[in-house]
Amino acid sequence: MNKGLSEDQTDALQELANIGMGQAGDSLARIWKEFVHLSIPKIAIVDASRLPALIHGFVGDTAVSASRQAFHGGFRGEVLVVVSAKDRNGLANLMGYEGQLDSVEREEVLLDIVNILGGACVGGIAQQVHAEIGFSAPSLIGEDIDPLDVIHPDQLAIDKALSLEVCFKVENRSLTAHLVILLPNNEVGALAQLLDQFLCTL
Amino acid sequence: MDDQKNAQLSGFIVERLELGVFAVDSSFNIVLWNHFMHTHSGKSWESLKGKNLFASFPELPEPWLKRKIDHVFALGNYAFTSWEQRAYLFRFKHNRPITGGVDAMLQNCTFLPLRDAKGKVELVVITLQDCTDNALIQQRLAEAITVSDEERRKQQELIVKLEDAKNQLFQSEKLASIGQLAAGVAHEINNPIGFVNSNLGTLERNVTDLMKLMAVFESKETELPEEAQSQLKKIKKEIDYEYLKEDLAALISESKEGLGHVRRIVSDLKDFSRVDQSGWQIADLEKCIDTTLNVVSNEIRYKASVVKEYGHPPLVECVPGQINQVLMNLVVNASQAFPERGQITLRTGEEGMYVWIEVEDDGIGIPPENLQRIFEPFFTTKPVGTGTGLGLSVCYNIIRKHEGELIVRSEVGKGTCFRILLPIFHGKMGESEGSEAANSVPL
Repeated sequence: MNKGLSEDQTDALQELANIGMGQAGDSLARIWKEFVHLSIPKIAIVDASRLPALIHGFVGDTAVSASRQAFHGGFRGEVLVVVSAKDRNGLANLMGYEGQLDSVEREEVLLDIVNILGGACVGGIAQQVHAEIGFSAPSLIGEDIDPLDVIHPDQLAIDKALSLEVCFKVENRSLTAHLVILLPNNEVGALAQLLDQFLCTL
Repeated sequence: MDDQKNAQLSGFIVERLELGVFAVDSSFNIVLWNHFMHTHSGKSWESLKGKNLFASFPELPEPWLKRKIDHVFALGNYAFTSWEQRAYLFRFKHNRPITGGVDAMLQNCTFLPLRDAKGKVELVVITLQDCTDNALIQQRLAEAITVSDEERRKQQELIVKLEDAKNQLFQSEKLASIGQLAAGVAHEINNPIGFVNSNLGTLERNVTDLMKLMAVFESKETELPEEAQSQLKKIKKEIDYEYLKEDLAALISESKEGLGHVRRIVSDLKDFSRVDQSGWQIADLEKCIDTTLNVVSNEIRYKASVVKEYGHPPLVECVPGQINQVLMNLVVNASQAFPERGQITLRTGEEGMYVWIEVEDDGIGIPPENLQRIFEPFFTTKPVGTGTGLGLSVCYNIIRKHEGELIVRSEVGKGTCFRILLPIFHGKMGESEGSEAANSVPL
């Protein structure tokens, strides 16, 4: 259970995430009428204590806004979205907001973005491995916070996690969002099984 | 249960659940509208069936909601809104017509994709949950937390103040014991001075008598035999008799003068400390200044000349020991304001129901950024270990206890002026002053 994913499984997951995100990116690009770039998903088993450094590594020394959302069903975990604080306005525009945002609207935008990106990526993977996935309502981690404060390892319920990281860019908006899907180590087995079933059907 | 019954039951639940449920197709036409939505919106399913959502409810935030629903259609995701960020989707009356507390029903909404057989999202179902009661509780909780945070902050402030007060008290007590010690020493010195003074008086009389006798002897000197005369002359020359005669009187009068000085200092010291008479009294502030100046004269003599511009104000009800302490602090501070030597001006006057004292120096002045902090306890610009940073803070508190004011104005390079305003009358006469600072003599 704690062995993580085999090389085949990791490749499959990366490919599925890539396809899932790619489809989602396509759909979003059509709605937004903007070109959407997605990085190739990076998968790793990470020690909980290394998560703050991981997030810091995405954005560097800049204030960030972050939100999270839980998913459950075939496999369980949480999605984090970290956006550099200065990118928020570009984001709001894409979500159908008009004019200057007040602080609650800014919060809502962050909740929407984790919902859309998380849903696209996790939903995309789940659909391809034929797993039923449900989502809880997203919640805010913080606005204008230090990237090292997004996750406090001592408050985590886990000591290891599977992280799947995707960087998401919208052309013409100078907007970059980092998506991290975290699976608790004891859920990796469930995912591995689903991946195996998927690999068998190939 | 067969499928038909199951569908019936589901239909019933959707229809009668205390949860708003409605659905739209990709053109935003309404395809489901349950009883909850009907009763709260006042519009029935029959009247809305197949109608455009935004045409039927123009008050909805169209661009945002369209985009939100579009995302669900495109991605097949769930989507959410929370009352915390968006109070409501539809402005419905709340469930508290009597108890009130909110403006409209607070709602949490969930957007659910409904897929067709091919997996394409066909409809978006939106559920709308009344969160008013929970929200109210949460809001009250948040308010309570804010209040308790504020209280905790105030407590913290109080703790800091208490600490300051404790330190100040400690300092006052230290000053008070030094004062008592000095007053005790003064008292002890008084006795020997008394008998030295009395002896000196006797000595003076005796010397005068002796001189009288010597004068007679001298007038008879020529009547003595030649030999005796020359012997006397020799001795007189030896001891420089003529000088001795003059010097003796001068020695005694100088000693008396010196002794008088000592007595004055001792009496000022006792006056200043008021060990015998602390508490509220009617006092002459100009006398307070004079005694204070006498006590500190040694401290300031080589640093400043003192100019007095007295306006002879009326007597003031105060605790003289404390006022002396303030004056001493201000005068000693002023004397430290000169790079070399300067002038300290002490003025008094009357203004309405107040008497004022000014202690002004023409020293280096206080920069504006320090000026607002000088009354803070422990604020000092003196090198570590030199000043406690308490002097002015103690002064400030003493004057405040007198219901007066201590005002400072200063200009860098020109000098500083402290102005003490004291109400003439308090109605506290006869009350003893509890604080030890009353009889403190910091020396």
